[in-house]
Amino acid sequence: MVNYLIVLFSVTLVYFAAAERLIIYIRLLAIQGLLLCGIAVFELNEINTVNLLFIVTETLIIKTLLIPYLLSRIISRSGVSKVHRQATPGFYLLLLSILSLLVSVILAGAMINQYINVIYMAVALYTLLTGLLLIITHKLIISHLIGFLIVENAVFMFSLAIGSRMPALINIGILLDIFVGVLILGFFGLRLKPHTNELTMLKD
Amino acid sequence: MAVLIFFSSAFLLSLSVFLFRNKLATRLISLLYALIHIGLTIHSWMNLNSTELIYFTFSSSGVLLLAILSLLTIPTFYHGFVYTAKDDIRKYNIYHASLILLMTFMSGAYLANGMTVLWIFVEATTLAVAALIYHDRTEMALEATWKYVFICSTGIALAYLGILFLGFIYGRGDAANLTFENLSVIIDKANPLYLKIAFLFVLVGFSTKMGLFPMHTVTIDAHSVSPPPVSALISTTLMNVGFLSIFRVYSLFASSPIRSFMNNVLILAGILSLLIAAGYMLKAKHLKRMLAYSSLENMGLVAIATGIGGEGYYAAFLIIVLHSLIKSSLFYQMGQLSRVLHTFKLDDCGRYMALYPAGSLVLITGVICILGIPPSGLFISEIMIFRAMVTGSNWAVLIITFFLLCFVIYAMTTRTMHIVFSDPRSIPDQPQVTSVRAVETVSQFILLGLVVILCFYQPPFLTDIIKSNILTLGSF
Repeated sequence: MVNYLIVLFSVTLVYFAAAERLIIYIRLLAIQGLLLCGIAVFELNEINTVNLLFIVTETLIIKTLLIPYLLSRIISRSGVSKVHRQATPGFYLLLLSILSLLVSVILAGAMINQYINVIYMAVALYTLLTGLLLIITHKLIISHLIGFLIVENAVFMFSLAIGSRMPALINIGILLDIFVGVLILGFFGLRLKPHTNELTMLKD
Repeated sequence: MAVLIFFSSAFLLSLSVFLFRNKLATRLISLLYALIHIGLTIHSWMNLNSTELIYFTFSSSGVLLLAILSLLTIPTFYHGFVYTAKDDIRKYNIYHASLILLMTFMSGAYLANGMTVLWIFVEATTLAVAALIYHDRTEMALEATWKYVFICSTGIALAYLGILFLGFIYGRGDAANLTFENLSVIIDKANPLYLKIAFLFVLVGFSTKMGLFPMHTVTIDAHSVSPPPVSALISTTLMNVGFLSIFRVYSLFASSPIRSFMNNVLILAGILSLLIAAGYMLKAKHLKRMLAYSSLENMGLVAIATGIGGEGYYAAFLIIVLHSLIKSSLFYQMGQLSRVLHTFKLDDCGRYMALYPAGSLVLITGVICILGIPPSGLFISEIMIFRAMVTGSNWAVLIITFFLLCFVIYAMTTRTMHIVFSDPRSIPDQPQVTSVRAVETVSQFILLGLVVILCFYQPPFLTDIIKSNILTLGSF
């Protein structure tokens, strides 16, 4: 079951590369939150109940509901519905995405370890590369935000890959990461250049 | 126990800054915090290598950097009081409460004995710095804060992945709880590919704090808008946090087969940092950005020195110490320069010697020191780096470094001479008023004086603590 969810998760990543409408990005992020919740419930079978409840809340309430809601508000406020025209076209991004998937699979295969599930590792690496690709190839602040949130999902995937018990310290780390993500969205996302969604002032 | 007292009192003092809503009370609280910080440094120096509260160890590298932070606490608070004097009480208190938190988080990062705890403190510094960069509440400050938080968070997320990779090496759920000491035992048995990936993630991630290529842009933008005393901390003690994080992982992996790989990566990152610093300094139009690129140049040198090894390790720590003293005094001076000239744009700056002689002397002395021209202590460290390069037959690195440093020296000296002696190229919008007292430069002269003294005499307690940091690397 977990493997199906992981594969489904990687399909959302391919979709990220092909999509050009911001609303699609938001829906995909919500779906990823839901999938991560499912993966955590099935995978973390040795974790104590309180910790598991905490992770479920983290993924369901914050990743699936709160973050997509904040992103929708930013989009409706800015009136920007599609990615920037100067961003790398979807076709090339899709090619890069598939290349990233190949690199991730090869790297994961080269790092076989008795403790690690190769599928986890490959998808986590692919998630990371997709997030970074989005940040690098897009121009809008909102696209960068979405890229950052995908990188955060990659961190979550990696921490799940570490074993069936998520250590408390790792949990704190992830919580801090999510807190920063929400802070970025809530504070900066709603204030920064609400009409153009571009950064221009600071340069040499 | 001392660590517990320090953290609890720091959080209480930070909270009380908000509660009192009185500028005099804020000043007294800040001073009290500085004294507590100095007390912690003395305690940690006297109890080297002992562990407190499980997660904190007074390691020699951590204590050395903690001592530098202690040295800078009082001048940073003082220049902060001057900078924020005209602010309303809310802004004033947010600034000082955030400053106390930033110093506390940095101290936590210095003393952390495990990767996850270190990471948590580094992430926390991002939040405290964000409040400080945004202090002036301008559109530019908002953009710089956004870039800082965004790039740092992305970078630190990457560093976290590096830490998780260490967990994969160990292969147990509680791997993240392991201390550096415990991890060092299992490093030799690890798959080198894991180690390489972990090192790359950690290097790229913590580069956001160290201000090293490829994540250098984040600190450059932050410098141009943040209050000068905050720039002084970002450019020195916060960069030291980044350096320490990378150095801890480097030391941890040094006994593994990937040591030469790490050295090559560090040398490459260092040279690229130098190249970018030299290029941008030649076309710099903003004084604080130029100083920020100078920090990039120095961190580049630190990376090269670490990559070269041998005497380079000692030189790297010496640069870290001296750069902290020099760059903080230069950034403190920027606060006074902006009150005299009302601008940081190089074209609008000029006749500084006539308007504020004491500040001009700080600027000239500071630039001489930061460029490693005798009698600057940095001269000694640069000589050590070049000697290590010759000893290791790294001729290409030597030539490239030397060549790029020439550009840096040319760019900084011509621009400084212009500010101090020439007339402004364009007529400034606001009238120039010289209402800054010479006594404000005292702390800057003291810090620069220390740098000059360290050129001629390095006290045994300093050399001993630096050598104990690099003892395990088998070099000095």
